[in-house]
Amino acid sequence: MSVDDHYLENDEQSIVMIVTAGPSTPHRCATPFYLASLLASMDAEVSMFFTMEGVRLMEKGVPEDLAAMEGGKKIIDFIRDAKRAGAVLHVCQPALPGYKIDGQADLIPEVDHVSRASVLADLLMTCDKVLSF
Amino acid sequence: MECNGCEFRPELFYDDEYQIWVRREGDGTLTVGMTDLSQTIAGKIIHVRVRRPGTRRPPGKPVATIESGKWAGPIPNFFDCTIEEGNPDVLETPTLLNSDPYNAWIARVAPAGSADEALAGFLTGDAAHEGYCERAAREDIHCSRKIK
Repeated sequence: MSVDDHYLENDEQSIVMIVTAGPSTPHRCATPFYLASLLASMDAEVSMFFTMEGVRLMEKGVPEDLAAMEGGKKIIDFIRDAKRAGAVLHVCQPALPGYKIDGQADLIPEVDHVSRASVLADLLMTCDKVLSF
Repeated sequence: MECNGCEFRPELFYDDEYQIWVRREGDGTLTVGMTDLSQTIAGKIIHVRVRRPGTRRPPGKPVATIESGKWAGPIPNFFDCTIEEGNPDVLETPTLLNSDPYNAWIARVAPAGSADEALAGFLTGDAAHEGYCERAAREDIHCSRKIK
């Protein structure tokens, strides 16, 4: 790899990340935020949409106690890295009742939007790339 | 100078979270690097990418991206500037940011206005030392140059 390969190009892209991984598979829960941080810091417009069990990563008390590996960095810290880099976090409103999560009271403050499925549909139809976890 | 084993250089300029340092160069450009606090928090740095030279970066748009084993994110930018160059040594050997954070600069940039205008919002000298030590104490950060 030459030095020139380490320079970033200037194309800006929009990326949607759909996250369904949750606390039952902790080893799958850090990577989405790590990638979101990286992509957002490269000027990509990153939207993360949490649905199915992924909504539990946005529930107060869950990411604070969860790590992808034993003794590793907590998921809440990965979430904060992604937010600091500029990622926007959507929680799937229709998925919340199945996990008995109150969208007003039970979500961590890092959540930007509690969104209906049609918001995800709009994001998918207008973005450049989709990643799913 | 140091706090909790974290080296501090009073002649440099720092953002208010002490993530980056900025050095004034004789030709009016500015060099940007990571502080000892930042490299310690990041851990072993495995990749650095800098915006291509000639790219205009307004405030809030990062000049570079850093990846370590446990952290990925931007080298933040606080003033309007244009990228002049990335440090080829750091691009080829990112762990220099861990082993020698104040000599291993990341990028050299040309501020859109004067260097004084660009640095107006930064801290330096005793005021910066006080804030740097406060952050190290508050977050219980103990710096290490060991590359793990």
